[in-house]
Amino acid sequence: MIAEASANLAIELNGVTRRFGKATAVDDLTLRIPQGHTFGLIGPNGAGKSTTIKLLMGILRPQVGYVRILGIDVFAEPSRMKKRVGYVPEVPQMYRWMRVGELIGFCRAFYPTWNDDECARLLDLFALDTGKKVRHLSKGMAAKLSLVLALAHDPEVLILDEPTSGLDPLVREEFLDGVLGAVCKHQRTVLFSSHALEDVHRLADTVGLLYEGRLLLHRGVEELLTSARRIRAVLRDGCLPRYEPPGLVWQHIERREWMLTVSEFTPDLLQTLRKENDLEHLEVMGLNLEELFKDFVKGRKKTT
Amino acid sequence: MKIDPSSHVPIYLQIVGEIRAAIDAGVFRPGEMLPSLRVLAADLRVNPNTVQRAYDELEREGIVLPRRGVGLFVADRDTRSARGEAEKTVLAAFQRGVQVGQDAGLPPERIRAVFDQALDQALRKGRTRS
Repeated sequence: MIAEASANLAIELNGVTRRFGKATAVDDLTLRIPQGHTFGLIGPNGAGKSTTIKLLMGILRPQVGYVRILGIDVFAEPSRMKKRVGYVPEVPQMYRWMRVGELIGFCRAFYPTWNDDECARLLDLFALDTGKKVRHLSKGMAAKLSLVLALAHDPEVLILDEPTSGLDPLVREEFLDGVLGAVCKHQRTVLFSSHALEDVHRLADTVGLLYEGRLLLHRGVEELLTSARRIRAVLRDGCLPRYEPPGLVWQHIERREWMLTVSEFTPDLLQTLRKENDLEHLEVMGLNLEELFKDFVKGRKKTT
Repeated sequence: MKIDPSSHVPIYLQIVGEIRAAIDAGVFRPGEMLPSLRVLAADLRVNPNTVQRAYDELEREGIVLPRRGVGLFVADRDTRSARGEAEKTVLAAFQRGVQVGQDAGLPPERIRAVFDQALDQALRKGRTRS
Protein backbone atom coordinates (compact mmCIF):
# COMPACT_ATOMS: atom_id res chain seq x y z
CA MET A 1 0.00 0.00 0.00
CA ILE A 2 2.72 2.42 1.03
CA ALA A 3 4.97 1.24 -1.77
CA GLU A 4 2.16 1.84 -4.23
CA ALA A 5 1.52 5.35 -2.92
CA SER A 6 5.17 6.35 -3.16
CA ALA A 7 5.42 4.88 -6.65
CA ASN A 8 3.10 7.63 -7.89
CA LEU A 9 5.13 10.34 -6.21
CA ALA A 10 7.36 12.40 -8.46
CA ILE A 11 9.01 14.27 -5.61
CA GLU A 12 9.33 13.24 -2.02
CA LEU A 13 11.13 14.95 0.85
CA ASN A 14 10.72 13.07 4.07
CA GLY A 15 11.62 14.67 7.43
CA VAL A 16 14.48 16.57 5.82
CA THR A 17 16.66 18.84 7.94
CA ARG A 18 19.65 20.83 6.73
CA ARG A 19 21.68 23.09 8.97
CA PHE A 20 24.50 25.48 8.13
CA GLY A 21 26.47 25.87 11.35
CA LYS A 22 23.92 26.90 13.94
CA ALA A 23 21.34 28.10 11.41
CA THR A 24 18.65 25.66 10.33
CA ALA A 25 17.80 26.35 6.69
CA VAL A 26 15.35 23.46 6.24
CA ASP A 27 13.65 22.11 9.32
CA ASP A 28 12.03 18.65 9.33
CA LEU A 29 10.47 19.25 5.93
CA THR A 30 8.10 16.71 4.45
CA LEU A 31 6.73 17.38 1.00
CA ARG A 32 5.14 14.97 -1.46
CA ILE A 33 4.24 15.90 -5.00
CA PRO A 34 2.36 13.39 -7.16
CA GLN A 35 3.26 12.84 -10.80
CA GLY A 36 1.74 15.27 -13.26
CA HIS A 37 1.38 18.11 -10.78
CA THR A 38 2.78 21.60 -11.11
CA PHE A 39 3.89 22.87 -7.74
CA GLY A 40 4.83 26.46 -6.87
CA LEU A 41 7.17 26.95 -3.91
CA ILE A 42 6.84 30.38 -2.36
CA GLY A 43 8.21 32.05 0.75
CA PRO A 44 10.11 35.14 1.86
CA ASN A 45 13.84 35.52 1.21
CA GLY A 46 15.81 33.19 3.44
CA ALA A 47 12.87 30.83 4.00
CA GLY A 48 14.84 27.89 2.61
CA LYS A 49 13.51 27.67 -0.95
CA SER A 50 16.89 27.49 -2.67
CA THR A 51 18.24 25.09 -0.06
CA THR A 52 15.20 22.85 -0.62
CA ILE A 53 15.83 22.84 -4.37
CA LYS A 54 19.53 22.08 -3.87
CA LEU A 55 18.55 19.19 -1.60
CA LEU A 56 16.22 17.93 -4.33
CA MET A 57 18.98 18.07 -6.91
CA GLY A 58 21.44 16.26 -4.64
CA ILE A 59 23.68 19.34 -4.52
CA LEU A 60 23.29 19.51 -0.75
CA ARG A 61 23.05 16.53 1.53
CA PRO A 62 20.32 16.38 4.17
CA GLN A 63 21.57 15.80 7.73
CA VAL A 64 18.28 14.11 8.60
CA GLY A 65 15.67 12.52 6.36
CA TYR A 66 15.74 11.51 2.71
CA VAL A 67 14.94 12.93 -0.71
CA ARG A 68 13.55 10.87 -3.58
CA ILE A 69 12.67 11.83 -7.10
CA LEU A 70 10.65 9.30 -9.10
CA GLY A 71 11.42 6.87 -6.29
CA ILE A 72 15.18 7.31 -6.72
CA ASP A 73 17.24 8.36 -3.70
CA VAL A 74 18.93 11.48 -5.08
CA PHE A 75 22.04 11.00 -2.97
CA ALA A 76 22.49 7.28 -3.53
CA GLU A 77 21.97 7.40 -7.31
CA PRO A 78 22.47 10.99 -8.50
CA SER A 79 23.24 10.16 -12.13
CA ARG A 80 20.21 7.89 -12.51
CA MET A 81 18.05 10.66 -11.06
CA LYS A 82 19.56 13.40 -13.24
CA LYS A 83 18.81 11.53 -16.47
CA ARG A 84 15.10 11.89 -15.73
CA VAL A 85 15.12 15.41 -14.30
CA GLY A 86 15.53 18.84 -15.90
CA TYR A 87 16.98 21.57 -13.72
CA VAL A 88 17.10 25.33 -14.18
CA PRO A 89 19.26 26.83 -11.42
CA GLU A 90 18.78 30.35 -10.09
CA VAL A 91 21.94 31.49 -11.86
CA PRO A 92 22.55 29.62 -15.13
CA GLN A 93 25.68 27.50 -14.84
CA MET A 94 27.02 26.95 -18.32
CA TYR A 95 30.47 26.97 -19.89
CA ARG A 96 30.69 30.62 -20.84
CA TRP A 97 33.46 30.18 -23.41
CA MET A 98 31.46 27.75 -25.54
CA ARG A 99 29.18 28.69 -28.38
CA VAL A 100 25.47 27.88 -27.87
CA GLY A 101 25.65 25.07 -30.45
CA GLU A 102 28.79 23.59 -28.88
CA LEU A 103 27.23 23.65 -25.43
CA ILE A 104 24.17 21.83 -26.76
CA GLY A 105 26.38 19.18 -28.36
CA PHE A 106 28.29 18.83 -25.10
CA CYS A 107 25.15 18.33 -22.98
CA ARG A 108 23.55 16.05 -25.56
CA ALA A 109 26.28 13.47 -24.98
CA PHE A 110 25.20 12.94 -21.38
CA TYR A 111 21.60 12.03 -22.14
CA PRO A 112 20.47 8.91 -23.99
CA THR A 113 16.96 10.41 -24.20
CA TRP A 114 18.08 13.67 -25.87
CA ASN A 115 15.36 14.84 -28.27
CA ASP A 116 16.84 16.76 -31.23
CA ASP A 117 13.44 17.81 -32.55
CA GLU A 118 12.35 19.26 -29.22
CA CYS A 119 15.71 20.99 -28.82
CA ALA A 120 15.38 22.57 -32.27
CA ARG A 121 11.78 23.58 -31.57
CA LEU A 122 12.78 25.34 -28.34
CA LEU A 123 15.79 27.08 -29.91
CA ASP A 124 13.44 28.32 -32.60
CA LEU A 125 10.73 29.37 -30.11
CA PHE A 126 13.28 31.39 -28.18
CA ALA A 127 15.11 32.67 -31.30
CA LEU A 128 18.44 31.54 -29.85
CA ASP A 129 21.47 31.96 -32.13
CA THR A 130 23.55 28.76 -31.92
CA GLY A 131 26.65 30.58 -33.19
CA LYS A 132 26.76 32.99 -30.28
CA LYS A 133 29.15 32.58 -27.37
CA VAL A 134 27.42 31.87 -24.06
CA ARG A 135 29.22 34.76 -22.38
CA HIS A 136 27.77 37.17 -24.94
CA LEU A 137 24.16 36.20 -24.19
CA SER A 138 21.88 38.66 -22.40
CA LYS A 139 20.41 37.63 -19.07
CA GLY A 140 17.11 36.74 -20.74
CA MET A 141 18.79 34.72 -23.49
CA ALA A 142 20.93 32.85 -20.93
CA ALA A 143 17.79 31.99 -18.93
CA LYS A 144 16.10 30.67 -22.06
CA LEU A 145 19.14 28.60 -23.03
CA SER A 146 19.19 27.19 -19.52
CA LEU A 147 15.54 26.11 -20.01
CA VAL A 148 16.33 24.54 -23.41
CA LEU A 149 19.13 22.49 -21.82
CA ALA A 150 16.79 21.42 -19.00
CA LEU A 151 14.02 20.29 -21.38
CA ALA A 152 15.78 18.82 -24.40
CA HIS A 153 16.28 15.37 -22.85
CA ASP A 154 12.50 15.04 -22.28
CA PRO A 155 12.71 14.88 -18.48
CA GLU A 156 9.81 13.54 -16.47
CA VAL A 157 10.41 16.11 -13.74
CA LEU A 158 11.33 19.77 -14.23
CA ILE A 159 12.75 21.80 -11.34
CA LEU A 160 13.21 25.56 -11.60
CA ASP A 161 14.73 27.89 -9.01
CA GLU A 162 13.20 31.39 -9.35
CA PRO A 163 13.24 31.09 -13.11
CA THR A 164 11.66 34.43 -14.03
CA SER A 165 13.30 36.70 -11.47
CA GLY A 166 15.07 39.62 -13.08
CA LEU A 167 13.65 38.97 -16.55
CA ASP A 168 11.88 41.74 -18.46
CA PRO A 169 8.12 41.26 -19.03
CA LEU A 170 8.47 40.09 -22.63
CA VAL A 171 11.19 37.57 -21.91
CA ARG A 172 9.19 36.40 -18.91
CA GLU A 173 6.20 35.66 -21.14
CA GLU A 174 8.36 33.73 -23.60
CA PHE A 175 9.92 31.80 -20.74
CA LEU A 176 6.47 30.98 -19.34
CA ASP A 177 5.44 29.72 -22.78
CA GLY A 178 8.41 27.38 -22.70
CA VAL A 179 7.51 26.11 -19.23
CA LEU A 180 3.83 25.75 -20.18
CA GLY A 181 4.77 23.70 -23.21
CA ALA A 182 6.60 21.46 -20.76
CA VAL A 183 3.61 21.32 -18.39
CA CYS A 184 1.37 20.22 -21.27
CA LYS A 185 3.45 17.11 -21.87
CA HIS A 186 1.74 14.11 -20.47
CA GLN A 187 2.31 13.43 -16.77
CA ARG A 188 5.29 15.74 -16.47
CA THR A 189 5.84 17.12 -12.98
CA VAL A 190 7.08 20.66 -12.43
CA LEU A 191 8.37 22.28 -9.25
CA PHE A 192 9.31 25.93 -9.35
CA SER A 193 10.16 28.51 -6.72
CA SER A 194 9.02 32.06 -7.28
CA HIS A 195 8.32 35.46 -5.82
CA ALA A 196 6.01 36.23 -8.73
CA LEU A 197 2.67 35.21 -7.27
CA GLU A 198 0.95 35.94 -10.59
CA ASP A 199 3.08 33.25 -12.23
CA VAL A 200 2.15 30.87 -9.44
CA HIS A 201 -1.56 31.57 -10.02
CA ARG A 202 -1.12 30.97 -13.76
CA LEU A 203 0.98 27.81 -13.62
CA ALA A 204 0.63 25.95 -10.37
CA ASP A 205 -1.89 23.27 -9.42
CA THR A 206 -0.71 23.41 -5.83
CA VAL A 207 1.30 25.92 -3.84
CA GLY A 208 3.56 25.45 -0.84
CA LEU A 209 4.56 28.27 1.48
CA LEU A 210 7.92 27.86 3.13
CA TYR A 211 8.75 29.90 6.20
CA GLU A 212 11.84 29.47 8.37
CA GLY A 213 12.52 26.13 6.73
CA ARG A 214 9.05 24.75 7.42
CA LEU A 215 6.04 24.27 5.20
CA LEU A 216 3.30 26.58 6.52
CA LEU A 217 0.82 25.68 3.84
CA HIS A 218 0.40 23.18 1.01
CA ARG A 219 -2.84 23.43 -0.97
CA GLY A 220 -4.51 23.68 -4.34
CA VAL A 221 -4.18 27.23 -5.64
CA GLU A 222 -7.79 27.61 -6.79
CA GLU A 223 -9.10 25.90 -3.68
CA LEU A 224 -7.07 28.28 -1.52
CA LEU A 225 -8.43 31.34 -3.30
CA THR A 226 -11.95 29.97 -3.09
CA SER A 227 -11.88 29.29 0.63
CA ALA A 228 -9.81 32.19 2.01
CA ARG A 229 -11.40 35.52 2.88
CA ARG A 230 -10.58 38.78 4.57
CA ILE A 231 -13.21 39.85 7.09
CA ARG A 232 -13.57 43.41 8.29
CA ALA A 233 -15.51 43.75 11.52
CA VAL A 234 -16.27 46.86 13.53
CA LEU A 235 -16.45 46.29 17.27
CA ARG A 236 -18.88 48.08 19.54
CA ASP A 237 -17.37 50.74 21.81
CA GLY A 238 -15.21 49.29 24.54
CA CYS A 239 -15.42 45.70 23.25
CA LEU A 240 -12.63 43.34 22.30
CA PRO A 241 -12.94 40.18 20.22
CA ARG A 242 -13.99 37.23 22.37
CA TYR A 243 -14.05 34.54 19.73
CA GLU A 244 -11.37 33.71 17.21
CA PRO A 245 -12.61 31.65 14.27
CA PRO A 246 -10.95 28.39 13.23
CA GLY A 247 -8.45 28.71 10.37
CA LEU A 248 -7.40 32.17 11.52
CA VAL A 249 -4.39 33.20 9.43
CA TRP A 250 -3.83 36.75 10.60
CA GLN A 251 -5.64 39.42 12.56
CA HIS A 252 -5.16 43.04 13.42
CA ILE A 253 -7.09 45.33 15.73
CA GLU A 254 -6.90 49.07 15.47
CA ARG A 255 -9.42 51.24 17.29
CA ARG A 256 -12.78 49.61 16.55
CA GLU A 257 -11.67 47.91 13.37
CA TRP A 258 -10.91 44.20 13.57
CA MET A 259 -9.38 42.74 10.41
CA LEU A 260 -9.11 38.97 10.06
CA THR A 261 -7.93 36.63 7.35
CA VAL A 262 -9.29 33.11 7.50
CA SER A 263 -8.32 30.13 5.36
CA GLU A 264 -11.64 28.26 5.66
CA PHE A 265 -14.47 30.68 5.11
CA THR A 266 -18.10 29.57 5.29
CA PRO A 267 -21.24 31.71 5.60
CA ASP A 268 -21.84 30.02 8.96
CA LEU A 269 -18.61 31.57 10.19
CA LEU A 270 -20.15 35.04 9.91
CA GLN A 271 -23.14 33.94 11.97
CA THR A 272 -20.85 32.61 14.68
CA LEU A 273 -18.66 35.72 14.65
CA ARG A 274 -21.76 37.87 15.05
CA LYS A 275 -23.14 35.71 17.82
CA GLU A 276 -19.92 35.48 19.82
CA ASN A 277 -18.73 39.09 19.51
CA ASP A 278 -20.23 42.55 19.92
CA LEU A 279 -20.08 43.77 16.36
CA GLU A 280 -21.53 46.80 14.66
CA HIS A 281 -20.55 45.89 11.16
CA LEU A 282 -19.23 42.93 9.19
CA GLU A 283 -18.01 42.66 5.62
CA VAL A 284 -16.19 40.03 3.58
CA MET A 285 -13.59 40.45 0.84
CA GLY A 286 -11.62 38.09 -1.38
CA LEU A 287 -7.82 38.06 -1.33
CA ASN A 288 -5.40 37.44 -4.15
CA LEU A 289 -2.42 35.10 -3.75
CA GLU A 290 -0.01 37.89 -2.90
CA GLU A 291 -2.23 39.28 -0.14
CA LEU A 292 -2.76 35.80 1.24
CA PHE A 293 0.95 35.07 1.19
CA LYS A 294 1.68 38.27 3.12
CA ASP A 295 -1.03 37.53 5.69
CA PHE A 296 0.29 34.01 6.28
CA VAL A 297 3.81 35.35 6.85
CA LYS A 298 2.67 38.28 9.03
CA GLY A 299 0.43 35.96 11.05
CA ARG A 300 3.33 33.61 11.66
CA LYS A 301 5.73 36.41 12.62
CA LYS A 302 3.35 37.60 15.33
CA THR A 303 2.99 34.21 16.94
CA THR A 304 6.71 33.38 16.99
CA MET B 1 -10.37 36.56 -23.90
CA LYS B 2 -8.46 37.96 -20.96
CA ILE B 3 -7.64 36.75 -17.49
CA ASP B 4 -6.04 38.53 -14.56
CA PRO B 5 -3.67 36.40 -12.45
CA SER B 6 -3.45 39.14 -9.81
CA SER B 7 -7.18 38.88 -9.11
CA HIS B 8 -8.62 37.16 -6.05
CA VAL B 9 -10.98 35.30 -8.39
CA PRO B 10 -9.57 31.86 -9.27
CA ILE B 11 -8.52 31.74 -12.94
CA TYR B 12 -10.90 28.88 -13.76
CA LEU B 13 -13.86 31.03 -12.68
CA GLN B 14 -12.53 33.94 -14.74
CA ILE B 15 -12.43 31.64 -17.77
CA VAL B 16 -16.00 30.45 -17.11
CA GLY B 17 -17.14 34.10 -16.98
CA GLU B 18 -15.24 35.05 -20.14
CA ILE B 19 -16.65 32.15 -22.14
CA ARG B 20 -20.17 32.74 -20.90
CA ALA B 21 -19.85 36.39 -21.95
CA ALA B 22 -18.36 35.41 -25.31
CA ILE B 23 -21.31 33.07 -25.96
CA ASP B 24 -23.82 35.75 -24.97
CA ALA B 25 -22.08 38.25 -27.23
CA GLY B 26 -22.19 35.81 -30.15
CA VAL B 27 -18.44 35.23 -30.41
CA PHE B 28 -19.27 31.55 -30.06
CA ARG B 29 -22.60 30.49 -31.59
CA PRO B 30 -24.69 27.43 -30.71
CA GLY B 31 -23.23 24.31 -32.31
CA GLU B 32 -19.74 25.78 -32.56
CA MET B 33 -16.77 24.14 -30.90
CA LEU B 34 -14.77 25.73 -28.09
CA PRO B 35 -10.98 25.88 -28.53
CA SER B 36 -9.16 22.77 -27.32
CA LEU B 37 -7.67 22.70 -23.81
CA ARG B 38 -4.12 22.99 -25.06
CA VAL B 39 -4.88 25.87 -27.40
CA LEU B 40 -6.74 27.93 -24.82
CA ALA B 41 -4.16 27.17 -22.11
CA ALA B 42 -1.37 28.37 -24.40
CA ASP B 43 -3.35 31.47 -25.47
CA LEU B 44 -4.08 32.51 -21.90
CA ARG B 45 -0.73 31.29 -20.56
CA VAL B 46 -2.31 29.16 -17.85
CA ASN B 47 -2.05 25.58 -16.66
CA PRO B 48 -4.19 23.29 -18.88
CA ASN B 49 -5.69 21.71 -15.74
CA THR B 50 -7.20 25.12 -14.96
CA VAL B 51 -8.87 25.27 -18.38
CA GLN B 52 -10.11 21.72 -17.82
CA ARG B 53 -11.74 22.84 -14.59
CA ALA B 54 -13.41 25.76 -16.35
CA TYR B 55 -14.69 23.47 -19.12
CA ASP B 56 -16.01 20.99 -16.54
CA GLU B 57 -17.93 23.81 -14.90
CA LEU B 58 -19.40 25.04 -18.21
CA GLU B 59 -20.45 21.49 -19.01
CA ARG B 60 -22.02 21.07 -15.58
CA GLU B 61 -24.01 24.25 -16.15
CA GLY B 62 -25.22 22.93 -19.49
CA ILE B 63 -23.73 25.84 -21.43
CA VAL B 64 -21.61 23.49 -23.50
CA LEU B 65 -22.11 19.85 -24.44
CA PRO B 66 -19.39 17.29 -25.06
CA ARG B 67 -19.17 15.24 -28.23
CA ARG B 68 -17.11 12.21 -27.48
CA GLY B 69 -13.60 12.41 -28.84
CA VAL B 70 -14.25 15.69 -30.63
CA GLY B 71 -14.60 18.47 -28.11
CA LEU B 72 -17.03 20.80 -26.41
CA PHE B 73 -19.84 22.48 -28.34
CA VAL B 74 -21.97 25.47 -27.41
CA ALA B 75 -25.44 24.27 -26.46
CA ASP B 76 -28.36 25.85 -28.30
CA ARG B 77 -30.21 28.64 -26.63
CA ASP B 78 -33.27 26.51 -25.83
CA THR B 79 -31.24 23.93 -23.94
CA ARG B 80 -29.36 26.66 -22.09
CA SER B 81 -32.43 28.66 -21.17
CA ALA B 82 -34.41 25.52 -20.25
CA ARG B 83 -31.76 24.76 -17.67
CA GLY B 84 -31.77 28.37 -16.50
CA GLU B 85 -35.55 28.24 -16.08
CA ALA B 86 -35.35 24.93 -14.22
CA GLU B 87 -32.79 26.42 -11.84
CA LYS B 88 -35.06 29.40 -11.19
CA THR B 89 -37.94 27.08 -10.31
CA VAL B 90 -35.72 25.04 -8.00
CA LEU B 91 -34.46 28.23 -6.34
CA ALA B 92 -38.01 29.43 -5.70
CA ALA B 93 -38.93 26.07 -4.14
CA PHE B 94 -35.83 26.21 -1.94
CA GLN B 95 -36.66 29.74 -0.85
CA ARG B 96 -40.10 28.58 0.26
CA GLY B 97 -38.44 25.71 2.16
CA VAL B 98 -36.02 28.08 3.89
CA GLN B 99 -38.94 30.25 4.93
CA VAL B 100 -40.74 27.24 6.44
CA GLY B 101 -37.58 26.35 8.38
CA GLN B 102 -37.01 29.88 9.63
CA ASP B 103 -40.65 30.19 10.72
CA ALA B 104 -40.19 26.99 12.73
CA GLY B 105 -37.06 28.53 14.35
CA LEU B 106 -34.48 26.20 12.77
CA PRO B 107 -30.91 27.57 12.72
CA PRO B 108 -29.33 27.92 9.24
CA GLU B 109 -26.98 24.97 9.67
CA ARG B 110 -29.97 22.71 10.40
CA ILE B 111 -31.79 23.99 7.33
CA ARG B 112 -28.73 23.25 5.21
CA ALA B 113 -28.43 19.78 6.76
CA VAL B 114 -32.05 19.05 5.84
CA PHE B 115 -31.39 20.06 2.21
CA ASP B 116 -28.35 17.79 2.10
CA GLN B 117 -30.44 14.98 3.53
CA ALA B 118 -33.16 15.49 0.91
CA LEU B 119 -30.61 15.51 -1.89
CA ASP B 120 -28.82 12.42 -0.57
CA GLN B 121 -32.08 10.53 -0.28
CA ALA B 122 -33.13 11.45 -3.81
CA LEU B 123 -29.75 10.41 -5.23
CA ARG B 124 -29.82 7.12 -3.33
CA LYS B 125 -33.32 6.40 -4.60
CA GLY B 126 -32.22 7.15 -8.15
CA ARG B 127 -29.38 4.70 -7.81
CA THR B 128 -31.50 1.80 -6.54
CA ARG B 129 -34.04 2.43 -9.29
CA SER B 130 -31.52 2.23 -12.12
